[in-house]
Amino acid sequence: MAARSPPLKILVCMKQVPQKDAPLKLNESGTWIREDVSYEVNEPDAYALEEALRQREKHKGEVVVITSGPARAQQVLREALAKGADRAIHLEDDKFVGLDAFNTAKAIAAAIKDEQFDLIFTGLQSDDYGYAQTGVILAELLGWPHATIIMQIEKNDTGIRVKRELEAGYFQFVDMPTPAVLTIQSGINKLRYATLIGIKQAKTKPLRKVTLGEVQSAIGENLQKIEKLYVPQKTKKTEHIEGPPAEIAKKLVDKLRNELRVL
Amino acid sequence: MITFRKPIEGVERPQMPADVVIVGGGPAGMACALRLAQLIDEHNNAHPDAQLSKENIYVLEKAREVGQHCLSGALLDPRAIAELLPDFKKDAPLDAEVTKEAVYFFTEKSKFKFPITPPFLRDHGNYVISLNKFVKWMGSKVEQAGVTIFTGFAGSELLYDGDRVNGVRTDDKGVDKEGHQKSNFEPGYDLQAKVVILAEGPRGSLTKQLVQKFDLAKNANPQTYGVGVKELWEVPAGRIAAGEVIYTMGWPLTTREYGGAWIYGSPGHGTTDNIVSLGFVTGLDYADPRLDPQRVLQQFKKHPFVAKLLEGGKMIRYGAKSMPYGGWWAIPPVAGDGWMLIGDTAGFLNSARLKGIHLAIKSGMLAAETAFHALMKNDSSAATLGDFQKTVDSSWIKEELWKYRNLHQGFEHGMLAGMFHTGLQMITGGRGLRNRYTGVAGYERMKKLSQLPADGGAEAHLLGPAKGDGKLTFDKLTDLYHSGTKHEEDQPAHLVIHDTNVCNERCVKEYGSPCQNFCPANVYEMVDDSSQPNGKRISLNPSNCVHCKTCDIQDPYQIITWVPPEGGGGPNYDGM
Amino acid sequence: MPDTILVVVEQREGKLNRVSWETITAGQAIAAATGWTLEAAVVGAAAAAPEVAAKKVAKVYAIESARLNPYTPDAFAAALKQFLSSKPPKLILMPHTYQVRDFVPKLATAMGRTVISDCIGFKHESGKLLFTRQMFQGKLAADVSFSSDAPWFATFQNGAFRGDKAEEGASAAAVETVNVDIADGVIRNNPQEIFKEAKQAVDLTQAEVIVAVGRGIKEQKNIEIAKQLADALGGDLAASRPICDSGWLPMDRQIGSSGQTVAPKLYLALGISGAIQHIVGMKGSRTIIAVNKDSEAPIFELADYAVVGNLFDIVPPLIEEVKKAKAGS
Repeated sequence: MAARSPPLKILVCMKQVPQKDAPLKLNESGTWIREDVSYEVNEPDAYALEEALRQREKHKGEVVVITSGPARAQQVLREALAKGADRAIHLEDDKFVGLDAFNTAKAIAAAIKDEQFDLIFTGLQSDDYGYAQTGVILAELLGWPHATIIMQIEKNDTGIRVKRELEAGYFQFVDMPTPAVLTIQSGINKLRYATLIGIKQAKTKPLRKVTLGEVQSAIGENLQKIEKLYVPQKTKKTEHIEGPPAEIAKKLVDKLRNELRVL
Repeated sequence: MITFRKPIEGVERPQMPADVVIVGGGPAGMACALRLAQLIDEHNNAHPDAQLSKENIYVLEKAREVGQHCLSGALLDPRAIAELLPDFKKDAPLDAEVTKEAVYFFTEKSKFKFPITPPFLRDHGNYVISLNKFVKWMGSKVEQAGVTIFTGFAGSELLYDGDRVNGVRTDDKGVDKEGHQKSNFEPGYDLQAKVVILAEGPRGSLTKQLVQKFDLAKNANPQTYGVGVKELWEVPAGRIAAGEVIYTMGWPLTTREYGGAWIYGSPGHGTTDNIVSLGFVTGLDYADPRLDPQRVLQQFKKHPFVAKLLEGGKMIRYGAKSMPYGGWWAIPPVAGDGWMLIGDTAGFLNSARLKGIHLAIKSGMLAAETAFHALMKNDSSAATLGDFQKTVDSSWIKEELWKYRNLHQGFEHGMLAGMFHTGLQMITGGRGLRNRYTGVAGYERMKKLSQLPADGGAEAHLLGPAKGDGKLTFDKLTDLYHSGTKHEEDQPAHLVIHDTNVCNERCVKEYGSPCQNFCPANVYEMVDDSSQPNGKRISLNPSNCVHCKTCDIQDPYQIITWVPPEGGGGPNYDGM
Repeated sequence: MPDTILVVVEQREGKLNRVSWETITAGQAIAAATGWTLEAAVVGAAAAAPEVAAKKVAKVYAIESARLNPYTPDAFAAALKQFLSSKPPKLILMPHTYQVRDFVPKLATAMGRTVISDCIGFKHESGKLLFTRQMFQGKLAADVSFSSDAPWFATFQNGAFRGDKAEEGASAAAVETVNVDIADGVIRNNPQEIFKEAKQAVDLTQAEVIVAVGRGIKEQKNIEIAKQLADALGGDLAASRPICDSGWLPMDRQIGSSGQTVAPKLYLALGISGAIQHIVGMKGSRTIIAVNKDSEAPIFELADYAVVGNLFDIVPPLIEEVKKAKAGS
């Protein structure tokens, strides 16, 4: 693998999702939500962007942001440009919303085929689907190494050393070559604010639009389908535990042990 | 120990020059920005060699998104928007044209319909709108016209050069609860502006600073306010028509309180439901400090007429906002050296018609015209900007407000007196008994607990927090959840209490801590504290705040100053 | 030949990851519903195969290669792709662990297939297999089907099935070792030793048991008994907003709309009224036990077990009983 010299060219994949507190309503067919909600940037992607901007501060280079979605998704790119990203790519079409992770990754790969990134970051997962797949799929499509749930990234002579978060309080350092795809853990840094100057400058930064037609040949039918989307019904029967405190304690422990298997 | 928000000292602030800074992206601010852009475009088309730029005209909006902090009933008198955008009907989000209106007087169990709708409440030709959606639409026009709207940025201080206002400082971001800089600290910008236009809405914080600094209100009546507490409901179809307007007076208020309710019908989604906007405005001049405006709304819903309308429906959003009632005589000078005031922050609201959006828009347009001339002349002194005062005086703003200039003051001694005065004013072109009725600031009418019956007397059902049944009525916290309000948690408290000893030592006894009642958002709480003389201490939940300004208005000691929290925080009034 | 379901278990620190039993339970349930044959595979952990073989599965494969240790996504994906291409099952199930998330989308993509991840259940309706998963952070649920050819990949959320309900086999299943060939240059990552680190922030979303306190705890010093209960249960301490606002517990212990959203196995709410701002952060919990003096506290609408009483009377004996039960078992 040819060694890449600094500066770093980083692509950050960002997604626009319904606002966390937005009251969601089902559409007529019960297969998706009604679009008339407020949207915001997928929080994990905001951390991916922050990490990319910090890497650029350290190593110089370029941060490019990309999103796929309807016209409204442009807001996510504008905010990223206002925070300091250098340019943006918008795969713009209403139909991008319905693509599965596989096809979304394919569309992204097609849109960036003439670019030469050193690193591609995605957020850990999206707040709407929560699949955590797009980054990993993209790596496989590009033939690049990848690592997930990354807390820290450091450049070294052979590529990068990343710190991976594992379950139960364990961590691991991994040395990898670049180019590589990394999915970034949330909360690893404090997110910067866009400044007034940043917002003004964002208006003149390049924003390339890519139509569905341009990537149509790269994508195919979805490999999975949401048959039904619904409000989860909770059939809850509250059991009252009564008696003097000592008895309550015994009854609870009995439940914990035998029914809940917590003890 | 609560740390209160104030601008960080000793930090270098980025400087940004501006031609015009409009603080506030509501209907007034947006109309001003749009009109200014139109005038500049017209000028540029006619003078290709002497172009004016729109690059340095900014709107500062503290909400994360345009319209997010806009709340109103609302009924739009299209007069002003028709002047600003003659073909507004093509794409403005108008929910319904008013088709039917009625005014009721409520008693606890029944109602009496007014045989004739008073002329000032007639709404034919008006539209039911969601102010939030309407302002979003206006915002898109402003951006298309080339003016920059900075969302998520609040105006935290005015900048002065002697007695001249020469700019606005934006909020410091990334300050922690103790007032220290966090790792992502960004100092507020100093926007040095030729013209600063304050469009902050009712009880604007910069406006308050300005008025106090120059004693602007010395010749005006004190501004008086009401607080509107609103809920948006989805109800099954057939209960109310889209465009149906209902006003009520009377119950649950007694003759001693000023206020009333509105109910407006809008089309729902599809054919299965209607959207109902309902709310109760309580005048912030009531006597009993235990009165809770959110509870007043819950009581109102229990009336059989309202309960039937809402049965089986779902409350989808909640919010509250104050509004200026003082009318013409309470408006301070609206222009000075480097500054102008527009919209509710100046007090341009018709409290008889309960409408202010059209006046906000018109005032914004007139201010834009003055600002344009100031830019052309390169002169934004009091003399030049004073033109705005003149154009307001000779516009239909004055014509409209003049008729109702004494309306609210007439209610000083209760409803019956108020009705008498109103009747008289109607036949004397607003004069009534004398050309100018004086007024008193609402908080001054709050009585001490010692002067009131312990059980609340006739007002008992309005006092203290609502419990709510969870279906028709709600407790404050549940209602608050539906306001979508969110703030960065780790920041100083933006409800600046100048002396918490007053809260803990005096107010507890004298007024029973009314902040717990008048705040519609549960920001203020008295918690147990054995180290305090009365066993209680003031505690704040600033991130609950819905930016209504009621506390700043109604606190009997006037020691609360509301300042904007870190930009981007606040309620989410989608659809309101 | 009937279709097969393959459960790929996970090893951790040389032992089988407990959560693998849950996936076996899931596999057994789907096998029962569809009539398909259940098999299992261990990857780079042949020593664990006999334990898996003791469960009711038709066969266990021990996929082996020196290059499977330590774990890398390249190696695992390559090894499984090789194995699966030779013997494609209909359905491949795995637990939704950090490791599985790291390689299974890559594996599926390499095979031109897709993964339905983080499922909480399944449905078998009119011959169609649907996988249920939470969306929009638990606000909605989705039933998802595969529109591609087999093999299908699905991962199950921690706790979606009961590991202890995995049926034992009548006799040990056969274990077949499958040696796979991972070529030079396939593995690009170079992982170092895993290590434990004191976590800077508390991640309550990973806790299985949470003991949460609300206003009813009255004073900061009383939080101690809640902590003792949490410790006795092997769980984490958390709180509703007012407790964190008062500084009695750090912000990262806050549950609710302005804090964390959790769905542990057990949520014990002590002195929490159940304001909606708190509820939205914990209503996905598998089991909720609430202790509150106020019989009308909204939390009781959500609780599986309700104790109306004074938490100061109830928690101390509860701690004792828990300790006794743990010592005895």
